Amino acid sequence: MNKKKMSDRQKTYILMVIPALVLFVMFNTIPLITGAMYSFTNYRGYGSYDFVGLRNYIDLFTDSRVGNSYLFTFKYAIAGTILVNLLSLILALGLNSKIKCKSLLRGVYFLPNILGGLIIGYIFSFIFTYIIPAMGSSLNIGFLKNSILASEKYAWIGVLIVGVWQAVAMNTIIYISGLQTIPADIHEAGMIDGATRWQEFKSLTLPMLMPFVSTNLVLSTKNMLMVFDQIMALTKGGPAQSTESISYLIYKNGMDGGQFGFQSANAVLFFVVIVTISIVQMVITNKKEEQL
Amino acid sequence: MSANARPFVPEPIEVHKKSANEIRDDKDGRSSIFLTTLLIIGCVTILFPLYMTIVIAFKSPSEMTNDIYGALALPKSFSLGNFAEAMRVTDFWHSLGNSVVITGSTIILSLVTHSMTGYAIGRNMNRKKGFKLIYFYIVSGMFVPFAILMMPLVKQTASLGIDNMLGVVILYTVFYMPMNVMLYSGYMKNVPFAMEEAADMDGASAWRTYWTIIFPMMKPMHATVAVLTALGTWNDVMTPLVIMSGTENTTLPLAQLNFQTQFGTNYNLAFASYLLALLPIVIFYIVCQKQIIGGVANGAVKG
Amino acid sequence: MKKCKKFGTAKMLLLTAAVSSAVLLSGCNGDKTDGGKTRVTMLQYKPEAVKAFEEIERRFNESHSDIELNIESPNEAMTVLKTRLIREDYPDIVGIGGDINYSNFLDADLFEDISDIEIIDDIKPAYLKMEKELEFIQKDGVYAIPYAANCAGILYNKDMFDENGWEIPETWSEFTALCEKIKSTGTTPLYFGYKDTWTCLAPWNALAVGLAPSDVCSSVNAGKTTFKAEYDEVADKIKQLLDYAEPNPYAYSYNDACTAFARGESAMYPIGSYAVPQILSVNPEMNIDSFTFPANEDKADNVLNSGIDLQFCVMKESKNKDAAYEVLRFLNEDETVQIYLDNQGGIPCKNGDFTIPSMLNGMTEYINSGRMSDFHDHHYPSEMSVDALIQTYLMDGSENSAEIFLERFDAEWARYNRDLIAKIKKYEEAGSNE
Repeated sequence: MNKKKMSDRQKTYILMVIPALVLFVMFNTIPLITGAMYSFTNYRGYGSYDFVGLRNYIDLFTDSRVGNSYLFTFKYAIAGTILVNLLSLILALGLNSKIKCKSLLRGVYFLPNILGGLIIGYIFSFIFTYIIPAMGSSLNIGFLKNSILASEKYAWIGVLIVGVWQAVAMNTIIYISGLQTIPADIHEAGMIDGATRWQEFKSLTLPMLMPFVSTNLVLSTKNMLMVFDQIMALTKGGPAQSTESISYLIYKNGMDGGQFGFQSANAVLFFVVIVTISIVQMVITNKKEEQL
Repeated sequence: MSANARPFVPEPIEVHKKSANEIRDDKDGRSSIFLTTLLIIGCVTILFPLYMTIVIAFKSPSEMTNDIYGALALPKSFSLGNFAEAMRVTDFWHSLGNSVVITGSTIILSLVTHSMTGYAIGRNMNRKKGFKLIYFYIVSGMFVPFAILMMPLVKQTASLGIDNMLGVVILYTVFYMPMNVMLYSGYMKNVPFAMEEAADMDGASAWRTYWTIIFPMMKPMHATVAVLTALGTWNDVMTPLVIMSGTENTTLPLAQLNFQTQFGTNYNLAFASYLLALLPIVIFYIVCQKQIIGGVANGAVKG
Repeated sequence: MKKCKKFGTAKMLLLTAAVSSAVLLSGCNGDKTDGGKTRVTMLQYKPEAVKAFEEIERRFNESHSDIELNIESPNEAMTVLKTRLIREDYPDIVGIGGDINYSNFLDADLFEDISDIEIIDDIKPAYLKMEKELEFIQKDGVYAIPYAANCAGILYNKDMFDENGWEIPETWSEFTALCEKIKSTGTTPLYFGYKDTWTCLAPWNALAVGLAPSDVCSSVNAGKTTFKAEYDEVADKIKQLLDYAEPNPYAYSYNDACTAFARGESAMYPIGSYAVPQILSVNPEMNIDSFTFPANEDKADNVLNSGIDLQFCVMKESKNKDAAYEVLRFLNEDETVQIYLDNQGGIPCKNGDFTIPSMLNGMTEYINSGRMSDFHDHHYPSEMSVDALIQTYLMDGSENSAEIFLERFDAEWARYNRDLIAKIKKYEEAGSNE
């Protein structure tokens, strides 16, 4: 390969990145910087405002509601990410194997992700409020007798069940598309060696799937950390403020309430936190990819 | 061979009609029936809520009850009245048209710009610091809470004169860029560099090689990206609400807000409307998923 | 795939440019129409009233040759309004509720003083007083025309009451005695939808108007009193109500409670008149009436909880004030008010002979004599989430729960209103120096 060819290629690579980069700077970075400026003010979202220095940031660390929302969100995200990835990987393997009514089944498993908040809210509230307690009473199972959504201690699990139920669809799609990149002859090789299913999965499928595992991990962590829709639909932060997530607080008090400046500070902090988590995640999974 | 290529990558010309698991299953046919049954059982967790949704969509408000048997009972009549009324209230065809235009344009714009970016980054990020930096820069955009962007974006789109459907499309393209670039560049890791090398020998420019060989090869990923982008945009209320408010145009999710007011919700009409809105996207998914299964090698041969 | 390939970047950009320029050209909006009429834009926040306002808009435009009125009734109107403020695309008139949003907008100096419009004289003084109390810092002038009010107390199942010969209670002990009586017949006296936290505010407000002064929030802001001192009885009584409600009310939503009440699962429902349409949608035949919450032992101390549901303000940025006044006059004509009431129910804020919905029969005595006081939560900053504080308190089984709750109320109030309290202090200091 000659040098000229290579530099042409490089130029093309750069040209290919530019349109997206320009859009990204204009509609993500610039508004982010503008928004972050408000975090140093007491802006309500309209009218006049004053600069208050670092007051909002100092308040963040003394506000118990913000603290609780971080605790809730992390508890939720850790459990959610693990569950979603396990379930969707299993589901993807299942849906990708030779089964009957494949299209139909794939279609059905895709549905939860597209049901709107109003449907989710109504149906699952009904299930948690009426159906499960009725089952609990007739089977005499104590902890099922009361609605889980009305329990300060366990409401988060109710939200988690619905959140995972909805999120599995998206990660399954990504895993399915990942499985397509694995050429069949690799498995043929595995079969000749007489590897068991588990060995084959561990030593052949999983390594090739690693880029998708890392993508899915980052995406589901991010989606779980930013949980909002399920909370709006199911609990609106209740009972007794036990399910207020960070995104919910930022939205509710920043947009609906008059805390725009303070919640902007919260958003900036939250952004820094998730970026850090995700970069750590990516670095770790990249290392794993290389090892395998 | 570049550093990206993996030792087990097959010769690019080979045809793989079946993907890995399928071949595995040929060995013992019984497992497929077992698996099918298992997957169908899993479907119950989805079909039960769906059943409730459908039943409610056919009922009238006076049939609503807190009693379990009453709630699960079939409606008194399967009249399509709720659906007709829901279509009238939401100005269905008009709103649907707008939603289709917005989601469709977003997908096209995303496929074109994000795949290029993802490709360029995927091919370079392990060798060039700059590309790796761009990768992390774009991907980090995924974590920006929308609430902080909202007000500045409202101002910006208004001053650029794009506080309309075009603006919404552009914003979606930016919102889904991090995820899509991540997906595309991840996908490129499993596509051998040999593809481009072969084309280089033929004297094709990198630009041409991309559009004639690589882009078609990414077909399963295009389908995945299209589905995921559509998923995010189809049901979204917030962006069109804040960007397009004041224009005559409305999207389906915006129009569906009509069913909810502060002190009352008409669940029957709302559910009928949601079911109607569900159909196009399910059909789109079913069409796309056929492309996803197409497999990378198949794409390479046809392209 | 082929299709996508044809869609080159250059073409995409061209298309983008073409579309955007087309949009730019069509997007010009002046304050005059093509026919030389003055254009007045109004944004009102009740999308459920869209039919009434379409009718009002049509009638106005038919009877006015020089003004074109355009009424918008968007969903999520408060968000839409805020985004329009950011865009500096101001409507001339806004129709909003008489609540903390109004106080904030007014504090941000968005509204025009309209004290020179003569229709103010027709408004019931009780509602004009409520407007004044919504001002963080007392201002000269009038900034809103109260239009329609709603009220809250107890809705009851009239047929059930008639059948059992239950009497309408007028004092707190009569009320608890009635609840005991109903309970003994096996019927649930009250139903709550506390899963939706905001519903906790319904009995809270109804009790608070009778038991605490209406200016409690501004008194606290001025440092004259504390919530702990003013709200202890309210806190005590709202907790007592739980004895007469369905078990575990935190499991049931507002919608569940409306359905349960409509299905005769409870005899009474402590909520506002705004819930009536939702209840009737489930049971159109239901006979609902209402009474004022008997919070006190002396009947004379009871006050009806009523607040402004819709009011009109003229934006300071409006360039068509005369035309906007013309619209306000038209809106306040008896005939127009009745169009709104027929469609939306509620109480007119204007004096006059209007048809009031029959389910408010039990409250008319209070309405006519003006014995009304505003919803206390109209003064609470929404970001403080007082509703959630109340829910937390109700769920708290510990002995000193009321104390914990009220102390938290005072502490959080001071924190969420910090800027406001400082501003008031500054204002008052400036006033005393003069």
